[in-house]
Amino acid sequence: MKTKRYERLNETLYYDQLDNGLEVYILPKPGFSKTYATFTTRYGSIDNEFQAPGKERIKVPDGIAHFLEHKMFEEEDGDVFAEFAAHGASANAFTSFDRTAYLFSSTQDVAHNVETLLNFVQKPYFTDQNVEKEKGIIGQEIRMYDDDADWRVYFGLIANYYHNHPVKIDIAGTVESISKITKELLYECYETFYHPSNMLLFIVGAVNPEEMMELVRKNQAGKPYDKQAPIKRFYPEEPETVAQKRSVVHLPVGIPKCLFGFKDKRAGLIGEELVKREVATEILLDILFSPSSDLYQKLYDAGLINNGFSADYSGEPQYGFSIIGGDTKDPDALVSMVESELKNVLARGVDEESFMLSKKKKTGEFLRALNSVEFIANSFTKYRFGGTDLFARGDILEGITLEDVNARLKEHVDFAQFSVSIVTSSEA
Amino acid sequence: MSELSFVSREQDGLSIHILPTQKFKTTTILIHIQLPLEENLVTRGALLPNVLQRGTERYPNPAHLQRHLDSLYGAIFNAGVMKRGERQIIQFYLEIANEKYLTDSRPLLEDGVRFLGEVLTRPLLENGAFAKKVVDLEKEALTKRIEGLIDDKMRYANQRLTEEMCQSEPYRLLSYGIREQIPQITPEALYAFYQEVLASYPVDMYVIGDVQPEKAAELLRQHIPLKPSGVKELPPTSYKKDVAEERVITEELNVAQGKLNIGMRTQTGYADDDYVHLMMYNGVLGGFPHSKLFMNVREKASLAYYAVSQLETHKGLCMIMSGIETGNYDKALAIIKEQLEMMKRGEITDIELNQTKATLSNQLRETRDNAGAIANMDYNGRLAGRRRSLEEILDAISRTTKDDIARVAQKVEIDTIYFLRGKGEAK
Repeated sequence: MKTKRYERLNETLYYDQLDNGLEVYILPKPGFSKTYATFTTRYGSIDNEFQAPGKERIKVPDGIAHFLEHKMFEEEDGDVFAEFAAHGASANAFTSFDRTAYLFSSTQDVAHNVETLLNFVQKPYFTDQNVEKEKGIIGQEIRMYDDDADWRVYFGLIANYYHNHPVKIDIAGTVESISKITKELLYECYETFYHPSNMLLFIVGAVNPEEMMELVRKNQAGKPYDKQAPIKRFYPEEPETVAQKRSVVHLPVGIPKCLFGFKDKRAGLIGEELVKREVATEILLDILFSPSSDLYQKLYDAGLINNGFSADYSGEPQYGFSIIGGDTKDPDALVSMVESELKNVLARGVDEESFMLSKKKKTGEFLRALNSVEFIANSFTKYRFGGTDLFARGDILEGITLEDVNARLKEHVDFAQFSVSIVTSSEA
Repeated sequence: MSELSFVSREQDGLSIHILPTQKFKTTTILIHIQLPLEENLVTRGALLPNVLQRGTERYPNPAHLQRHLDSLYGAIFNAGVMKRGERQIIQFYLEIANEKYLTDSRPLLEDGVRFLGEVLTRPLLENGAFAKKVVDLEKEALTKRIEGLIDDKMRYANQRLTEEMCQSEPYRLLSYGIREQIPQITPEALYAFYQEVLASYPVDMYVIGDVQPEKAAELLRQHIPLKPSGVKELPPTSYKKDVAEERVITEELNVAQGKLNIGMRTQTGYADDDYVHLMMYNGVLGGFPHSKLFMNVREKASLAYYAVSQLETHKGLCMIMSGIETGNYDKALAIIKEQLEMMKRGEITDIELNQTKATLSNQLRETRDNAGAIANMDYNGRLAGRRRSLEEILDAISRTTKDDIARVAQKVEIDTIYFLRGKGEAK
C-alpha cells in the first residue's frame, strides 16, 4: 500500500491497485463519525456504443446505464437496501454522463458495509420479470423529470449545444427507449463495464487504512476475474458549432427559467491540462457572473435576476460547456443585457484586482468543500478518471495567472458558440 | 459525545452557544431570530433578511458586499427564513475558512463576526429608513419567489396540502409570507419592523469550529451589539387537533405525473415522551428505502418512483408524498391505506423494526459531521422546550418496541388527502 501526504491540507491518502485491476483509495478523517464509500465504474449515459474485448460492436438503448444502476440493487435473495439498513447504512447510487457510482454512508459496521457494497455490485441478478417491473418505476422517474422545470431547461441547453454527442441524451432515457431494454442487454453492458479494472473504490471517514485495505484485498482475491483488455467506446463525430441557438419549452411555471452559455470547440484535453482549463474557466465565470461582478449588479438593479442566478462549467475530455442563468421575469431582456455587457468585457479583458479576489475566493471554497466526505469521494473519482488528482487542484489554482484567464475569456466567450434555453408557461 | 457539547449562555432573550471542535476546516456562525408565525408579521419577516443581506452602511450594494466576502477567502453568507412549527425563524448564516489552513494568517473569524454585526446592526439607510430601491427590488423578488413555488411540483403539492389541512391554524402560512401583502410594505414600515424585531424577539447565536469559547463569545458581544428589551414570550406551537373527517381535495394542472400527498395528525410533539417512537413510526412507514411505502408502492406494485413519509417535527404532522400516473390513484391510495392499517395493528416485522433502528440511528449520528445540522438539532430542542442529547435519542430508539410504535400509530389519523392530477386524464 502506498501513501501520499498533503501537508498544507493535513490529509494523508492511502492507495493501491489490486491484482484484478481495481484501484482502491482510502482517506482517514480523524474525528468524523461517519464513513462514506463509493464504488464507481467508468460507465455512464454517453457510453451507448461500444465493443467489449472479443465481442461485436453494439449500440444499446438510451438510458441503459441508469437502468442497470437501478437493477443492481436487486439480489436473488432480496433487496440490498435491506442488508445495508440492517447494519445502519444508508445506500444509494447515481448515474452521470460518464460514471455510475454506488455508495453508502454509515457510522457503524463499516467493514461489513464495505463488503456488502463490493459484493452487491459484483453480483448482478436480472430476470425478465424484474426488468419489466423496473420499467414502471423508472417510467415514473422520467415523468417526474418531465415536470421538473429546472431539469428541462438544463437539458434543453445541452441538447441545443450538441448535434450528435450522446451527452445531449437524458440520463434516464425515455419511456420509449427503456421499453427496449432486456436482461440480455443488461448483462452485456454489465460484463463489459463492471470489470474491476474499469472501477475505483474510495473510502473516506472513520477508518483504519491498513485494516480496510486488507479487507478489500481479501474480498477481491476471493473472486475469479480474468484480465480484461481495454473496452473500445465509440462516439459520433461532433461538429464544433452549436446545434441550435435557442429553444423554448412550455410548462406551468410561476416564473420563466432561462439558461444560456457557450459550447467549447476544443475537446480532447486530459490530465492537468483539463483541470487547468476547468479552474481557469471557473475563475472566469466567477469574475463575470458572481454577485461581486458589475454585470450581476446591473442585472440585479434591473430586476432581471434573483438569488438563484449562477454560472457553472462542465469540462470533460469529450465535451465542455458553461451553463449560466436562473429564474427571470424576462428571458430576452436578460440575454440581451448579458450579451452587450460581455462584449465590453471581451474588448477590455479581466482586471488584476477581480482576478486576485476570485482566486482567493476559490481557495476558501475548496477548503470548505473538503469538509464534505461526499465531495471528496465523488470529486476524487471524477478527477482520477480524468487522469488527475483532486488534491493537486489547490496547487493548480495557485498557479493560474491573469493571462490564463484572459486567454480563456477569448476562447470560451465566443458568441458563435452561444445558445439559450427557456422554460416558460404557455400563458406568458 | 462529550466533545460535541455547546457552551451556552443566555441573558435577556439573547443566547450564545459555542461549540469548539477541530473537525472542520471552516467556522460556521448562525444567528436565529424567532418570530411567531402570524399573518400580520410573516410577510415583513420574510422580506427583512432579504433586504438586510443586500447592503450595509459600509458595503452599500450587493457587489460591494460580495467583494468583501470574497476577500475573506470566499466566506459564504446568506440570510433567509424557515418555518419551525408555528414559528418563523429569520436566519443569518456565515461560513468562513479557518486561517490555520491558509498561507495567510489574518484572523478571519473576527472579520466574519464583524461583518455579520454590520449586516444586523448597521444596515444601508436613506432618510432614516431602508433604501427604497433595495426594498422595491426585494419586494419584487419575494413576489416572484412565492409565484415560483408552483415550479417545484413536489413542494407545491405539499404546500397546497398544508394550506388545506391547516386552514384555520397559523401553520398554513408559507414562510415567505403572503403575496397580497407585499405591495403595502414601505421602506419606513419595514425599518420600524426591523427595530421591533431586534428589540423584542428571542435571538440565538451559534458558533461551531476550532475556536476558543470565551474569545468567540466576546467577539459576538463586541461586534454584534444587540440590546433586546422586553423580549416576548411566544405561544407554543399547538400540535393537538382532532380530525372531524377525512377530506379529499383534487386539483388539476398540466403535469405529466400526478402527485398524491396525504397529511396526517399524530397528536405528538417534539417534547412528548412518545416523540422518539413517532420517529420510529415514520421510519418504518416511509422514511427509508426499506420502509413499507417504498417496498409496497414502488418495489411491489411498481406504481411510483418515490413514495415517502416525513415528519413536521414541531407541528406533529406526518406527510406522505408520492408521484404516480393519474389513472393509478385508487390503486396507490388503497396500498398506502393498507400500510397505515398495518402500522395501527402493529404488523411490523422484526426485520423492519431492526433495520429502522439501525438506519435512523445512523442518520442521527451522521448529523455530527455537519456543523449546520449540529446547531439545528440543538435549536429544535430549545424551540420545543425539551433538549435531548444524541445519546438519549439513540438510547430511546434502541429500546423502542413494536407496541410503542403501534401505540403511536393509534393516534395517527388522516386529515386530508390532496391529489394534483394531470389535465384531462381519467382518474
